[in-house]
Amino acid sequence: MSSSEFLESKKPLQVLEKIKESLERLNEKMEIIIELQKHGQRDAQAIPSEAPLDVMTLLSMPDHLRKTAMAVCRMGRATAEEVAQQTKRARAVESAYLNQLVIMGYLKKERKGRKAYFYIEK
Amino acid sequence: MGKIVAVHSYKGGTGKTLISLNLAVTLAKMGKKVCLMDLDFRAPSLSILLKIEKAQYWLNDYLNGSCEIDKVMIDLSLRIAEKDRFYVCPANPSIEAIRDITARDRKWEMRALGRLLFLRNALLKDRAFDYVVFDTSPGLQYSAINAIVAADIVLVATTLDSSDVEGTRMILHGLYDLFEKKAEIVLNKVTFLDSVRVGREKLQKMVKDVYSAPLLEAIPCFCEISKAEGKNIFVHEKPDHPFTKIMYEMATKIEKL
Ligand SMILES: Nc1ncnc2c1ncn2[C@@H]1O[C@H](COP(=O)(O)OP(=O)(O)OP(=O)(O)O)[C@@H](O)[C@H]1O
Ligand SMILES: [Mg+2]
Repeated sequence: MSSSEFLESKKPLQVLEKIKESLERLNEKMEIIIELQKHGQRDAQAIPSEAPLDVMTLLSMPDHLRKTAMAVCRMGRATAEEVAQQTKRARAVESAYLNQLVIMGYLKKERKGRKAYFYIEK
Repeated sequence: MGKIVAVHSYKGGTGKTLISLNLAVTLAKMGKKVCLMDLDFRAPSLSILLKIEKAQYWLNDYLNGSCEIDKVMIDLSLRIAEKDRFYVCPANPSIEAIRDITARDRKWEMRALGRLLFLRNALLKDRAFDYVVFDTSPGLQYSAINAIVAADIVLVATTLDSSDVEGTRMILHGLYDLFEKKAEIVLNKVTFLDSVRVGREKLQKMVKDVYSAPLLEAIPCFCEISKAEGKNIFVHEKPDHPFTKIMYEMATKIEKL
């Protein structure tokens, strides 16, 4: 099936949904790449793959990350959307911070269908 | 929904245990359903003050994940002549338990924080408690910081002692602010009894200037409290004492926070 056939066979709304979904995934991947670059390759290696998110760690974090990490602590498991509701910041911003916390080893990330969940490994 | 109140201080001996116990009992006498928890695992007091010798489970066990919180809660409502109002979760005072706590690693502390945060659902939501009051250890210890993170309001017990003032200023900004906690100052053991009542506004301004935090209450130093040697629940034994009146005022203010 050619792409024009595909487009004709679907309702416009569904097509838009598909495009939006792809863009969101692309956006997330770019955020991760940006975060990794910020840290630099050596930095990323120095950080352990799994670090406990205890109160002393929370205290030593920069303010913007602490806010995000605290929200996940309170909820146990959350999407960027849910964290954004608590912190009253934009979803894309929270998504970037959450992915940064994953890279730092404090959070784990799991995909369930379209949604990405962030949680603390107990 | 109810609230979690942590009573903390920079230095030891500022009156955290006295305030948390008597505040919890006062709130219970006002008809609130209250649970008082001893989070001072290095120097547990509530088991001794309330003469709880044997318990099947302690708060330590809940944080360890070896039991649920209901197993730790002891109903002491009848001691203060109320029904279903006053519960206590004591910490294990045995030397083995204290040794155990000091050997915990960061991962354990992280899980303990998770279990403290879970109390919001387990007690405030599911069991309809109006207040959970945490008595904590002084300074920047894990159990105290965990308690602060899990709380809605932090009461900071402080005296006018100069070594206490600097430290209190430090934790106000370096601890409570960082976790975005509402902190209220409780000035304890104030000796100039008269100025407490007369110069309330002055005292308020002084606290605001020194700490940039609101003064919730000033408590004079009462000889009767020292004389009681912690052998009773003061507000219950002495309903007409000025200290009891101050505790009622404080509880009423907390209701409005
Ligand atoms: N306003 C007061 N008037 C007289 N005595 C007081 C007053 N406040 C506290 N005390 C006494 O001071 C001592 C210390 O109080 P308390 O044990 O409540 O302090 P704490 O902050 O819990 O101490 P710690 O840091 O060791 O846990 C106790 O003997 C108590 O009775
Ligand atoms: Mg104490």
